Amino acid sequence: MPTLDIEKLKKEVIDSQIWRSVFRGGVWKDTPRDRAAHIIGNVWLHLHPVKARPRAMKWAYSWGMGGISFALYLLLTISGVALMFYYRPTVGLAYRDIKDLEFAITLGKFLRNSHRWAAQAMVVAVIAHMVRVFLTGAYKKPREFNWGVGVLLLTLTLFLSFTGYLLPWDQLAIWAVTVGTNMAGATPFLGNEGPFGGLMGMHINNDVRFTLLGGTMVGENTLIRFYVMHCVAVPLVVGILLILHFWRIRKDSFSAAPYKADEEKVDVWPHLVKREYIGAAGTTLFIMIWSILQNAPLESIANPNVTPNPSKAPWYFVGLQELLVYFDPWIAGVLLPGLIIVGLIAIPYIDTNPKGVGYYAWKERKFANTMFMLGIVMWFVLIYIGAECRGPNYAFYPPWESWYILKAAPPPTWSVFGPAHVGALPIALGIPVIGGLFAASMLLPKLIQKELNGKALMGGFCAAVIAVALVGMGLHKFGPVSGAFMLFFGALAFYFGFVMPQRHIRGLDWPRYLVTMGLVVCTMAILLKMCARLTFNIKYVLTIPTISLNI
Amino acid sequence: MSEPANNPTPNPNPAPAAAPKPAPAKPAAAMSRGDFLWLGWSALAAFFAASAAAGARFFFPNVIYEPSQKFNAGPAASYDQGVSTKWLNEQRMWIIRTPSGIYAMWARCTHLGCTPNWWGDQNRFKCPCHGSNYTIAGDVIAGPAPRPLWRAKVELSPLGDLIVDKSVLEDMPGKRELEPFFVKYPAA
Repeated sequence: MPTLDIEKLKKEVIDSQIWRSVFRGGVWKDTPRDRAAHIIGNVWLHLHPVKARPRAMKWAYSWGMGGISFALYLLLTISGVALMFYYRPTVGLAYRDIKDLEFAITLGKFLRNSHRWAAQAMVVAVIAHMVRVFLTGAYKKPREFNWGVGVLLLTLTLFLSFTGYLLPWDQLAIWAVTVGTNMAGATPFLGNEGPFGGLMGMHINNDVRFTLLGGTMVGENTLIRFYVMHCVAVPLVVGILLILHFWRIRKDSFSAAPYKADEEKVDVWPHLVKREYIGAAGTTLFIMIWSILQNAPLESIANPNVTPNPSKAPWYFVGLQELLVYFDPWIAGVLLPGLIIVGLIAIPYIDTNPKGVGYYAWKERKFANTMFMLGIVMWFVLIYIGAECRGPNYAFYPPWESWYILKAAPPPTWSVFGPAHVGALPIALGIPVIGGLFAASMLLPKLIQKELNGKALMGGFCAAVIAVALVGMGLHKFGPVSGAFMLFFGALAFYFGFVMPQRHIRGLDWPRYLVTMGLVVCTMAILLKMCARLTFNIKYVLTIPTISLNI
Repeated sequence: MSEPANNPTPNPNPAPAAAPKPAPAKPAAAMSRGDFLWLGWSALAAFFAASAAAGARFFFPNVIYEPSQKFNAGPAASYDQGVSTKWLNEQRMWIIRTPSGIYAMWARCTHLGCTPNWWGDQNRFKCPCHGSNYTIAGDVIAGPAPRPLWRAKVELSPLGDLIVDKSVLEDMPGKRELEPFFVKYPAA
């Protein structure tokens, strides 16, 4: 009876011309040379260095979030291409095809679920990757440019999510995109409802919103536009930027983790590639299990005339939606997102602190880390309020309160500076007052040349706010809740807008100082405007209706 | 590099230089080859960039296939006093009858374009997206909306039907209460 000699068979297969033509190299002996050849001789792996520092590979250092983001991008490509086999982007068919995917197509529901959940996971992973890179100071010289590429990739990740949101053509889809594209209509100069839009000759049928929609309302043209952007145009740009991003990482010696004298580099195969495979496999399993256990939401078919109540953006944009309650669309929808993107890209160029590159160093980078994390925390607190504490008519409902309780109508609002009958005080007074306050808060830390005692400053400030609040409450101008708001927002803005920066940025040169302080003051202005609305029902600090300028 | 960067032993006895020859006469305005190429490529790049910019016009459709903005809202006599949401689902309009007449208001929040709901008990429209509140006249009383709701042109047909034209809009107090944004139709 002939026996099966596995070893002999294996040798014959490996030595065959076919195998050798695909996988080059001799017998694998696991020598350093073999390991290096595995990286160099493989088109998919050759963007890696052959050796890397062991510290750079630790999960605790890198969180593996960059690799996991890329794994999710690949998963999204696979599931997305699969969905394209059935999905037709027309108003009459889109929703039906999604229903078919859910109920009539084998694995359709699973693939749609995985596409949805992988997209949400990718947003989380990309943000986590950014936080990790920031906290380890890995954006500093010579990696400034690659950080900027990363910021663009984050923006495009969000844009991919946004364009994909319309495609199921349900109520969630159409209203999120209606609101999103109307924000584009509020762009200064380029939108028909934005400041100076009228002066530029913008109308409903020639502005930036019209281009996005391919019409004056979300309809057939919008669907095909978003489909093409979602499936072809944006993934292409993301792919190009990813190649650039990875290439730069490779050229900048893979990781910012600092060299240690006694450190010996280890082979990337298997030490790093193994971790990447574990990350990708874990991510895939996680998405598979999630997609089996939970279905992607699908509301009723899109109705361009009736909005669900309440209507909410996808969770990662709910923070912006919450800001839109307090700010005019051109600020919350255009200016602030623009400032966030530009500000993030600017960080490596304004941060001159040479310390803390490649390791977690809260004490050495106190100012940078505090300000960055303040921004991240604010973003997620706003998301929490918008997602969990807003009910019908977008009124404030604590999470434990039933939405069947009808809330009292919100109190009327007023504006501080504006034309007669609109603002309490004239515009001519408002412009110098607001400009003066802005300039003062920008320049104060530089003008006061000595370091001030933070505790004394905060104590004095809080005492003053409490005194004002008590007087206001005594005169029955407002209640204790408003007083508490005043103290909370005031103290936050004063600490992070003055007390904290004045110790750290006095030494910066003027251009860097102005950019840094500009970002700080704008962040604090957000808090103060929210306070003004919550405490005094102030709608606009300054309004000039003739040019649609509201602040 | 074709020449050594520096020559450590310069020839101590250089051959006597030949009498300087007058340089061959060059055309005065000649351009170096490098400059010429720079100019040429720059011009070509500028041409491509300008063409691409002009090509942006491609993304602005010239013809759009959207539903007609004009519709027949039925007999004016069929409306009771107050806010009618009869046409909300089809035409996104409220027909509002007052003791003296009728006006039609576009159910599009001026903040970011959601459709507000009418809350009769509180006598106001409330938007589900960012919480803007409007009076029955369309004026903003709370929330972030920057301007009043739009009213549309309304006419009475010879048969007594209301004809609403959503392409003609007005929101200015003083103008919006007059024709053609208001039809006088006193209660019988």
